[in-house]
Amino acid sequence: MNLQKIISKPKKTTKVKTQDDLLVVGTSVPRVDGWEKIKGAAKYTDDLEFGPGLLYAAIVESPFAHARIKSIDTSKAEKLPGVVKVVTGDNFKHKFGLYMTDRYVFATDTVRFVGEQVAAVVATDPKVALRGAALVEVKYEELTPVFDPVKALEKNAPIIHPDLENYRHVPWFFPKPNTNIAHWRKTRKGDLAKGFKEADLVMEDTYYVPRYAHCAIEPHCVIGLYDESGRLTMWTSSQSPFTQRNVFVQVLEPMGISHKDVRVISTYIGGGFGGKAGVSMEIIGAALAVSVQGRPVKVLWNRAQEFYNTYQRQGVTAKIKMGVKKDGRITALDFEMCWDAGAYVEYGANVVNAAGLSASGPYKVDNLKIDSMCIYTNLPPGGPYRGFGYSEFLFGLESHITRVAGKLGMDPVAFRKKNAIKEGDTLPYGAPMNPNGIKEAIEKVEKEIKWGVKEESKDPKKAIGKALVCFWKSPAMPPNAASSAFLKFNEDGSINILVSGMEIGQGLMTVMAQIASEVLTVPVSKIRVETPDTDRNPYEWQTVGSHVTWGCGNAVKSAAMEAREKIFDLVQRVHCLDKSTLYLKNETVRCHTRPDFELRLRDFVINGIQAEDHTFKGGPIMGSGMFMPEFASAIGDPETGQGGHPNVHYTTGSAGVILEVDRETGKMKIKKAALAVDCGKAINPDLVKGQIVGGLLQGFATVLYEDMRFGETGRLLNANFSDYKIPTAKDMPDVVVPIIIEVAQPDGPYGARGVGEHTMIPAAPLIANAVEDALGVRIKSMPVTKEKVALAVAAAKK
Amino acid sequence: MPITTEFEYIKPKDMDEALHVFSLYREKAKALAGGTDLVVQLKENIAKPEIVVDIKNLEELRGLTLDGNKLKIGALVTFADLIESDLVKTRYPLLWEASLTVASTGVRNRATVAGNICSAVPSADSAPVLAVYDAVVLVRAIRGERAVSIHNWFAGPKKTALAADEIVTGLELPLPEKKHAGCYMKLCRYEGEDLAQGGIAVLAFADNTYRVATCALGPKPARCPKTERLLNGNKLSAPVLGKARKLILSEISPIADIRSSKEYRLHMAEIMLERALEIALARLSGKGPCYGENNIV
Repeated sequence: MNLQKIISKPKKTTKVKTQDDLLVVGTSVPRVDGWEKIKGAAKYTDDLEFGPGLLYAAIVESPFAHARIKSIDTSKAEKLPGVVKVVTGDNFKHKFGLYMTDRYVFATDTVRFVGEQVAAVVATDPKVALRGAALVEVKYEELTPVFDPVKALEKNAPIIHPDLENYRHVPWFFPKPNTNIAHWRKTRKGDLAKGFKEADLVMEDTYYVPRYAHCAIEPHCVIGLYDESGRLTMWTSSQSPFTQRNVFVQVLEPMGISHKDVRVISTYIGGGFGGKAGVSMEIIGAALAVSVQGRPVKVLWNRAQEFYNTYQRQGVTAKIKMGVKKDGRITALDFEMCWDAGAYVEYGANVVNAAGLSASGPYKVDNLKIDSMCIYTNLPPGGPYRGFGYSEFLFGLESHITRVAGKLGMDPVAFRKKNAIKEGDTLPYGAPMNPNGIKEAIEKVEKEIKWGVKEESKDPKKAIGKALVCFWKSPAMPPNAASSAFLKFNEDGSINILVSGMEIGQGLMTVMAQIASEVLTVPVSKIRVETPDTDRNPYEWQTVGSHVTWGCGNAVKSAAMEAREKIFDLVQRVHCLDKSTLYLKNETVRCHTRPDFELRLRDFVINGIQAEDHTFKGGPIMGSGMFMPEFASAIGDPETGQGGHPNVHYTTGSAGVILEVDRETGKMKIKKAALAVDCGKAINPDLVKGQIVGGLLQGFATVLYEDMRFGETGRLLNANFSDYKIPTAKDMPDVVVPIIIEVAQPDGPYGARGVGEHTMIPAAPLIANAVEDALGVRIKSMPVTKEKVALAVAAAKK
Repeated sequence: MPITTEFEYIKPKDMDEALHVFSLYREKAKALAGGTDLVVQLKENIAKPEIVVDIKNLEELRGLTLDGNKLKIGALVTFADLIESDLVKTRYPLLWEASLTVASTGVRNRATVAGNICSAVPSADSAPVLAVYDAVVLVRAIRGERAVSIHNWFAGPKKTALAADEIVTGLELPLPEKKHAGCYMKLCRYEGEDLAQGGIAVLAFADNTYRVATCALGPKPARCPKTERLLNGNKLSAPVLGKARKLILSEISPIADIRSSKEYRLHMAEIMLERALEIALARLSGKGPCYGENNIV
């Protein structure tokens, strides 16, 4: 990426575009998928038509959190008219998993959470399938379950995965066989004991974060068709078509199915937030398709299943011990996290890993110890959720920092400024920090919320509190997570871009079109970007980690540059003009040395250029591009985490809030929220602002209203929107101010880095800190509901 | 989500036919009007009726009128009908205010007031208001009709005085003659659609008498006679309010559930009583927030 250097150190003599010359990148072009969605032309998985032959599946689910399956009797269900097949784990003995192969398609001998799939009934009609599922008789022998990750560590706790030592996993996981610890990420830096000795103040406390659900509007849906020739096509509502293909093959390989035989087509999706990354219920669709060869079969989750049998955001109990000098400098941080990772951790263990590498937050901490433990429990599987572990540790960390500053008698914003990480500072795992604008972000937010100015509510029953916190996040991905792109010109000079980054509402299609447009001077309105089809579109690891603008964007840019190179080569060959003198402008090829030269792209990008001898040279212009962060490495010392370069870059920022709280009822109203994020370069500022506002609101939802409640048997009690509350339009803050900071990321397309997840992660400590500022009470467990606030205030009065 | 349970469906053309079906099937018949509770129960296999009786064709169950000094609410009248009615808004603003807090716009478009009291969940938003207006429930069977006071209607959680062969035909709300104003204060987890974790309706009269009723603070919605007696004849001074706040705690028995702790319900009952009385009194003298404002706590 030679352009990186040019961006960070622009030379006046260079003819390559500097940031100021950009025509399309940096402008808020309207979404390219806007009309399609507004007019209802956009198709989602459940909209696809498969005709009257389509089969439907219903799931037989475990009523127990932990039990041995003694027998499964499918005979009654099989006799029900309309039932085509009953499928159990007997047919699928291979485990699967993204980072650790610890799951079966159907529970085979043991069920490990309430709602786990034990069998599926395939029928000609959804009702018949459900009635058939009710006829499947499963006999269980109950085992002792464990729900609390801390209790799961106790000596005589039931072992949920006795075969842990035999599970395949990525090399950066460290499971502890014969315990419930699926992975233990240890990060050690400096001298912790010395750090605490130097400290003038040491403070220790524990913070608790429950589980959360993504609550995408569209539930998970998959249709599979395994045709008579042995070709498996899967239509999925997914953030990760290629990863799904790879995981499907893990299970289907024994049947002779290889990657080339599996085609995954991903339509638009109605919200992902991490919940549609990796493979969760889709594996059932793949298994059922191969079980009823020749007929398409659909699995559509209902809202309750959406809650209890997809990935959930993991809960965490976090113990923080921090040492500081009187002047506010952090001298030591000891951070211990016990993650409630659920029954299977094939994806969730990497969330734990990510937090374990980064729990210092965006601060320079010289003496550091982080223990991030991924603990099996008999609750639904944990997994990715916007923020990927960072929201969870940040609640404790940013709460703790404000309290430590308070105890020192220091302004909590001044404390943060003093410790904020700078470019070149050593990260917890030893690599240097990337360029970042955290200082600017703090200053802008500080100004926006008038930090330091105490405000009074007009209503004497209410108090006003303020808070400012910082955040950071890096994409958590394998070091070789790759992106690629194809770019094809058409006869009229328009372009089709094929990528497998998913449009999940964030605006990926628009941004990819803008990047290609910038390179090739073809307007965005003449560029189509297609949703993925693994047969047609090239590889993308997954649309997660806020990395696709960066990774997929680099691939598209490189594809566009390759196409441009082919164009210049051709023009040089036919018109004998030196390549280095050629440039593109308004869809034409121009020449610096021959101002009269002008060749329209549409006149040659398919049919070539006619030479003087009347022959044609060239042909259809295409570009391909790929991107992989070749500097990344996940391998460090298992005891210290030092030595690798697991994270490609961190995006930093700051957020602030002005909160009004009713002194008696605890009811809260956000009068103003502001968030500044350093996205390197806002390729489309309106889309970045959309991410800021949307992310912040999603974060406020998790801290003010939501949490998953499990009963004594491990059953999820609020698998519905009656009792799992996500805010409505009436619950919005009065004002949300999005602030864009641009300190270029050297290896990002036009300096861009990720921004999607980051905008939700500071929300929880913001509210907890503002409540304390307003009323003097500290809530250390999420959510910070009005009930908790009111009762804490009432208790404080006594 | 499909309904897998099987049942007969009938849409009677007149009252006689409907009553015959109920006399024949009794507990095994379920009336369908708005369906906002029933259809959910069918989907979740909680309700397993042999027959579903769609009463939407019965003309006699329609109508929202003021008859003398009584508001007549037909069994098919929805909460949206109440909200859109000028009659309700001007003459029964407290009922209008409570109706606005019921579920969401979509649900209110279908859900009926009669259905709300037939479902008889402890959190029924309409119940405290009906109680302070001394509403009467009109029911009918083949064997005859009767009027049941709202105070005798609720028999416990999801239980009513309705016999198995009877259906509700409507409600009557006598309009108090004395000058009055009210307030319905509802405890929710947020501003959006929510089931009451507690609700208090207050009617305050110009002669310093008061009516107070609650929902979701005990097994059934009910008036609070002791609190009313304490308040009656008094202006709302700080000491009186302080005593009333404590006294109402002896008239409610909230539970702890997934929506709220018992402790918070008790804490909020005091505050809701005080604030509802203050707002009702302010409204009585032409001040205070408009109906429908500031009543979600």
